[in-house]
Amino acid sequence: MTSELTIARSIGRNVLQARGSDALADWFRRLWRGALPLLWGLVFPAIVLPIWFAGTYWGWLPQQILPTPSEVWSTLLDMLRSGELKMHTTISLLRVVYGFAAGTAVGLALGAAMGLSRRVDDYVRPLFTAIAQVPALAWIPLAMLFLGIGETLKIVVIAKAAFVPVVMNTSAGIRNVPLEFAEVGDTFKFSAWQKLRLVVLPGAIPSIFTGLRYGLTHAWIALVSVELVASSEGLGYLLVWGRQMFWLDTVLVAMIVIGLVGFATDKLLAKIEQHLQRWRIHGA
Amino acid sequence: MALDGISPEARLPTGFLRGLALPLGLLTLWELSSHSGLFNQQFLPPLEKVASTAWREWTNGELLSDLIVSLRRDLTGFAIGTGIGIAVGLALGLSRTFDKIFTRWFNGLKQIALLAWIPLISIWFGFDEAAKIVFVALAAAIPVILNIVEGIRLTSQKSIEVGEVFKFNRRQVIVLIYLPSALPSILTGVHLALIYSWLATIGAEYFMAAGPGIGGLVIAGRERFEMDLVLLGIVVLGVVGFALDRLASWLEHRLVPWRRP
Amino acid sequence: MSGHLDVQHVSKRFQVDGKPIEALSDISLSIQPGEFVSIVGPSGCGKSTLLRLLAGLDRGFEGNILHDGKPIVGTSLDRGIVFQEPRLFPWATVRHNIGLGLQNAPIGRTQKEEMIEAHVRLVGLQGFERAYPHQLSGGMAQRAAIARGLVNRPQILLLDEPFGALDAMTRGKMQIELQQIWAHEKITMVLVTHDVDEAVFLGDRVIVLAPRPGRISRIFEVTTRRPRQRTDDDLIHVRNEILLALEAQEPKPSPLARSTGDLIERPAA
Repeated sequence: MTSELTIARSIGRNVLQARGSDALADWFRRLWRGALPLLWGLVFPAIVLPIWFAGTYWGWLPQQILPTPSEVWSTLLDMLRSGELKMHTTISLLRVVYGFAAGTAVGLALGAAMGLSRRVDDYVRPLFTAIAQVPALAWIPLAMLFLGIGETLKIVVIAKAAFVPVVMNTSAGIRNVPLEFAEVGDTFKFSAWQKLRLVVLPGAIPSIFTGLRYGLTHAWIALVSVELVASSEGLGYLLVWGRQMFWLDTVLVAMIVIGLVGFATDKLLAKIEQHLQRWRIHGA
Repeated sequence: MALDGISPEARLPTGFLRGLALPLGLLTLWELSSHSGLFNQQFLPPLEKVASTAWREWTNGELLSDLIVSLRRDLTGFAIGTGIGIAVGLALGLSRTFDKIFTRWFNGLKQIALLAWIPLISIWFGFDEAAKIVFVALAAAIPVILNIVEGIRLTSQKSIEVGEVFKFNRRQVIVLIYLPSALPSILTGVHLALIYSWLATIGAEYFMAAGPGIGGLVIAGRERFEMDLVLLGIVVLGVVGFALDRLASWLEHRLVPWRRP
Repeated sequence: MSGHLDVQHVSKRFQVDGKPIEALSDISLSIQPGEFVSIVGPSGCGKSTLLRLLAGLDRGFEGNILHDGKPIVGTSLDRGIVFQEPRLFPWATVRHNIGLGLQNAPIGRTQKEEMIEAHVRLVGLQGFERAYPHQLSGGMAQRAAIARGLVNRPQILLLDEPFGALDAMTRGKMQIELQQIWAHEKITMVLVTHDVDEAVFLGDRVIVLAPRPGRISRIFEVTTRRPRQRTDDDLIHVRNEILLALEAQEPKPSPLARSTGDLIERPAA
């Protein structure tokens, strides 16, 4: 492969030299450099896909365990076209959004209280640590008893999952704002509210966002758990259904969508974080 | 910073007492509600019932055997996952080629919520021990890989330059500079792997059903509507998770003493 | 007259490992409005402690500190302070940082903008209003901190080793600038420093503190006219006297062993 690239490069170079065009060569070089990572990224599928095709063609594994790539593709298209995928995705996404919002709201408030007041921290931390040790998954049976299997259950479980990292990172972030900055506020007679608004919160934002991003990751995991257990629609339900019917293509489609939507939501948070933190040293 | 200005010395005994307030309050509330007759005692068993169930399960050996089964799965999966994770992590971190080919795909795959892999794994590996261990290994490998790559990436350029000055060959650069520099991150990754593999063990037992284990205990309790079993399972789960976390922290502290706790 | 500081028999004790340490012992000092006072002394002499008491950041001392006849209670917008680290908020631009000083100032929005602009110019940071602290050099950041300390037009500016973290050349430049700012603003300034040259270059008086317990050891008057040159003979003379005074305070160092042979007993041959 390397030799072909070299040949292509030298041909290109010769062509451009013949034309004597410098700007074009420059543009070509930049295009090449931009495309290179993409080409590297294709190496893996370039190896795997042919093997996959060959495997299904020659029936190395039963069809239930390994559907053909074309089957997966057509299932994906079918589900898209019928609107099925959109419905399940929307339901799951909304659950994550509501649960994340609820868990984050409570988490930020509690985390702030714990960070600002040693007293509150003393009262709350042991209980909080105990709750944090038990994953959202294990809370499901307990929660089901009190909440049934409706939407509330799902939102609550997702909220709990998001809540834990938000509280931990918010309280740590607030506590870690250096005392020196508060003193500066003192010299300008900042009230406690001003100190909070102008010194503590801006200083704690990096940690708070770390908490939010972990919270989102955990919220997605909780969503999948709760939909695997107790749901009749949503991406998790697709997983269960696909597995029960041994439709691996459905399972794969659901997994891919979960990955993509999870990625998109994380990227969104990252963008917001970046916008709020223009003051940070690049790369830090 | 804490704004309420309580001196650290005064906090110690009062802090401890305060910490007890809420848990004790909740337990009292629980106890009272359970005996009040307002709730079905099967759904809200009184604490003494939970305690007696715990005692019963302990003395008849059930609890212990469940615990051992779960822990064995956990540690097997953890060991395999960590081993693979270290290998992959080192490859991704140290080899530019490996990095260029695989990193994007790894980042993409890691976006898929961990539990979403269970159906796939259960189709490929069935529902028995192998499947559970595969899942636990997967859960362990991910944080190990992420942290090793990060640790290698953070190796100071200055240290590498020193290696250049002394004409280190590739092997020396890796062994004498990159690895020691990445060691704290590797340990962090292993610590996280220990935590996540325990959670994955419970998850695997929960969703891949059937068989002994703490997860199995919780399921059995739920199916038989015996809340005390469910609660017992949850408590044991939390305690083991906590213990593993503490153990990992202690080990980390011993192996990397120069780090601030 | 405004900007008069009266320190009367001030003492301060700290608890270190359960034992009381006397950081300051019976300090009395009167600082006139518009005066520039430098305070020097070895580490542990309590000079920073004294400054923090003057600022109102620390309390719990014996004696009185009066600002224009009124005992000080906590911090005040009339006493500005510049710390050794610039302590600029990393998440705010230079303008915003300076503007934060005006957060509680009883003036309107347009006036605030004018004050900020004026002080940016005063410290020579025009063009950098929208820069973030991490983009500034040490000297520039400290200049922004000085602007912030002055933006309320306080009667007194307290400076706690403001140039200690800067390299020698920048330090020299900043001293000249501070001298100009002082001449321009005509307010009282109290500078704590370990650099005797700096103290002598800038101050009308130099207060020498001795440690353990912190107390005033000597006061030197510097009558050289401004603008001062470092090469002025009078300045060098005063500076030498201060250095001698500081040396006299130190306990005599023990004689150095000349080789390990002095320390290790040779076994009998």
